[in-house]
Amino acid sequence: MSGPLHGLRVLELADEKGQFCGKLLGDLGADVIKIEPLGGEPCRLVGPFLNDVAHPDRSLSFWYYNTSKRGITLNLASEDGRALFRRLAATADVVLESFRPGYLESLGLGQETLRAENPALIVCSLTPFGQTGPWRDYESADLLHMAAGGEMASCGYDDIDTPIAPGGGNAWHMGCHYAYMAIMAALVYRTVSGVGQYIDTSIHEACALTTESAIANYVYRGEVLKRQTGRHHAVGPTVRTQFPAKDGKYVTALISGGLNPRNVKNLADLMGAYEMAGDLADPKYQDPATIAASTSHIVDGLLADFIASLPAEEVYHAAQARGFTWGAVRAPEDLPDDGHLQDRGFWKTVEHPELGRSFVYPGEAAIYNGTPWEISRRAPLIGEHNEDVYINVLGLSKAQVSELVAFGTI
Amino acid sequence: MSPPRALDNIRVVDFSWVRAGPWATRWLGALGAEIIKIEWPETERGRLPSSTTPPGMDVNLNTSGNFNDTNVNKKSLTLNVRSAKGLEIVKRLIAISDIVIENFSSRVLQNWGLGYDELCRIKPDIVYVSMSGYGHTGRNHTYTTFGPVAQAASGLTHLSGLPDRPPAGWGWSYMDDTGGMYGAMCALTGLYHRNMTGKGQHIDQAQMISSVPLNGPSLLDFTVNGRGATRPGFPPGNRAHWPGTPLLHNYRGPIVAPHNAYRTAPGGYNDWCVIVCHTDDEWCRLVRAMGAPAWANAEKFATTEGRLAHQEELDAHLESWTMTLDKYAVTERCQAESVRAMPVQSAEDRVENDPQLRHRGMYQPLAHPALGTHKVQNAPFTLSETPVFNHRSSPLIGEHTRDIVEGLLGYSHDDLRAGYADGTFWPTKRPKFPYQEEMLA
Repeated sequence: MSGPLHGLRVLELADEKGQFCGKLLGDLGADVIKIEPLGGEPCRLVGPFLNDVAHPDRSLSFWYYNTSKRGITLNLASEDGRALFRRLAATADVVLESFRPGYLESLGLGQETLRAENPALIVCSLTPFGQTGPWRDYESADLLHMAAGGEMASCGYDDIDTPIAPGGGNAWHMGCHYAYMAIMAALVYRTVSGVGQYIDTSIHEACALTTESAIANYVYRGEVLKRQTGRHHAVGPTVRTQFPAKDGKYVTALISGGLNPRNVKNLADLMGAYEMAGDLADPKYQDPATIAASTSHIVDGLLADFIASLPAEEVYHAAQARGFTWGAVRAPEDLPDDGHLQDRGFWKTVEHPELGRSFVYPGEAAIYNGTPWEISRRAPLIGEHNEDVYINVLGLSKAQVSELVAFGTI
Repeated sequence: MSPPRALDNIRVVDFSWVRAGPWATRWLGALGAEIIKIEWPETERGRLPSSTTPPGMDVNLNTSGNFNDTNVNKKSLTLNVRSAKGLEIVKRLIAISDIVIENFSSRVLQNWGLGYDELCRIKPDIVYVSMSGYGHTGRNHTYTTFGPVAQAASGLTHLSGLPDRPPAGWGWSYMDDTGGMYGAMCALTGLYHRNMTGKGQHIDQAQMISSVPLNGPSLLDFTVNGRGATRPGFPPGNRAHWPGTPLLHNYRGPIVAPHNAYRTAPGGYNDWCVIVCHTDDEWCRLVRAMGAPAWANAEKFATTEGRLAHQEELDAHLESWTMTLDKYAVTERCQAESVRAMPVQSAEDRVENDPQLRHRGMYQPLAHPALGTHKVQNAPFTLSETPVFNHRSSPLIGEHTRDIVEGLLGYSHDDLRAGYADGTFWPTKRPKFPYQEEMLA
């Protein structure tokens, strides 16, 4: 069995903004050809690196975001390079690009030109602010998008007002998720119409869409929400939901539905199993008014003490087993031990033949039962597939390829 | 004739509720699919409780603002699927649909008699997307989630905050939004594959599982280098690196300074901007944007290494400048010199003050029969041949029951009235809304 996108060819000309979208397509079976400038894409210099040795073929960030792709180098600034790109685009289903607006057009490689030569082609631009508007040429970074998109305004602490941008490069993820969705919609439409199209995706808009109810709170009630430690933004202070456990890790313990008599009884049962229920089993707590008057005693006292008495993982599993929607706050290094992820075959072993080693990679967001997700190869080395692509896809001879190398075209 | 839509003639049976599932089908609807939301007022979650009903308006099943924004582009069919008659009706609907999508716990649909095998019997090439908390397989498949729990258990929460403080986490259910994205992505991918091969499938998407691949580089730092992310200086707040800690990569682009949030005038709760310089050249341009203050000429700030080594001092100086301007003015001065800077924007800022979102038409007014006309969030992309837009407000509960039951499924008007009388289309003891009375007339 092969992935659901088997048979699709994607040309990826993308940096940190779009490389994850190429991975999403490649791991689901598309033939993604990553086209890099001659020295390699600058993302190869983003750490961390294998054994902390900085080198363009040792970036773990690059490794992660470029699985299941072939890699070629191509100098688009040269006339021969542009001609080669047009020939490649004529064989492709999708071109994904994250250059500055107008750049490909200035090379004579704009979407209209490419689509005129290949009417079934889908060209997707994924840029910080889209192709139009007063900010279209502005500089960007992950932190900038988390600021302008609204993530930071929602995220921080009760006791200091510094807005916090969650890490991990998630502005790029948000843009790539929407770009993937737009590309797939265009592909579905192509299956019935035969025609391609042009997609203009804005990372700023993707981020601005990803703050849950914040926009609705403003639009319908004029509310601007306040940041709360480890829990949802809200109009005013809310009950704390994050508690330190015995091992120094934290537990997210929100009582779904709030503290009502039923939830208090279930809490008393859970904590009672560890002899940590205190007076919570007292019938007086079956009265909503008593509960309301005792919120701090229950949450900041009994619940906090219970969680502080156990390791975070134990609280997590014991609570979930009793129907509480709680979670341990895990660090990345905690995840390989998660039995549930192991049961689902989440971790994948990926060969790095040039190193004579293999490494464990995170796997799929969803299991496609009919068409499996797969990392078909590790990220390409710089120009690793030049011969493969230029000879087998474009039909050049070995001698022609050598000439292109000599002229600095590839 | 209006232009075609990407998902014309695609019908989705949507059992989803709360947020993540509805956020997925909202986008399939914006792309032109017909979304039929199956609802039941007694067990409904998403319309109520509502904290986004306009002030002064009665809080009921039809007046949640957040529900409206999350459920545009859909029709609503009220149906008691847990009755034999209701189940038979929903099977007739599935038989003429392309996609079934739901975000229940792992065994719910199967227990209703609508597991994947049964769905295939009804419609052999159905694309079935389940969006549960932990997936349909694995030892913890019965666990439940909402955004913050998926974020905690997957490692996302750990990435956010200041060193030596509790995790700040994500101030909203990031994984309701993003889980919804994955639901839509899975549905479209399955649909594409079906159109190419004629084969449907069950796609088992899960909120907690979908969170984990968002931590790729930090996970590889552990599985490849053996380095965990529980360490001094991590997470580094808004910085790329926390002063006084080992110079390690923190999974958000290059290790540079400045890279932080700075207060701006007039000093209110959301008066902040962020500034980042990736190179020494960019730093020189920032110095120019600030009007070349004397402190900025110090040799110690001339290189990335120097700026990282003196980051506290650097940030204090920068903030003394940003405090003299409002956040949009700081942004414009920096960007005029091609320096990375952006305002921290609240929801109000995005809707009212962001010139880019205004230019792009991000928030467009849409009329709703109970709520009135309000701005609704648009798609972050345009498709040149198949426009993407919100073509209808969220449905009133059961608004389209008659259209679907009689118009689409071919039942008679008497059948509809009988179904209301026997509790198939609405609980017999529950008062009906006026539009429901009208549909029975």
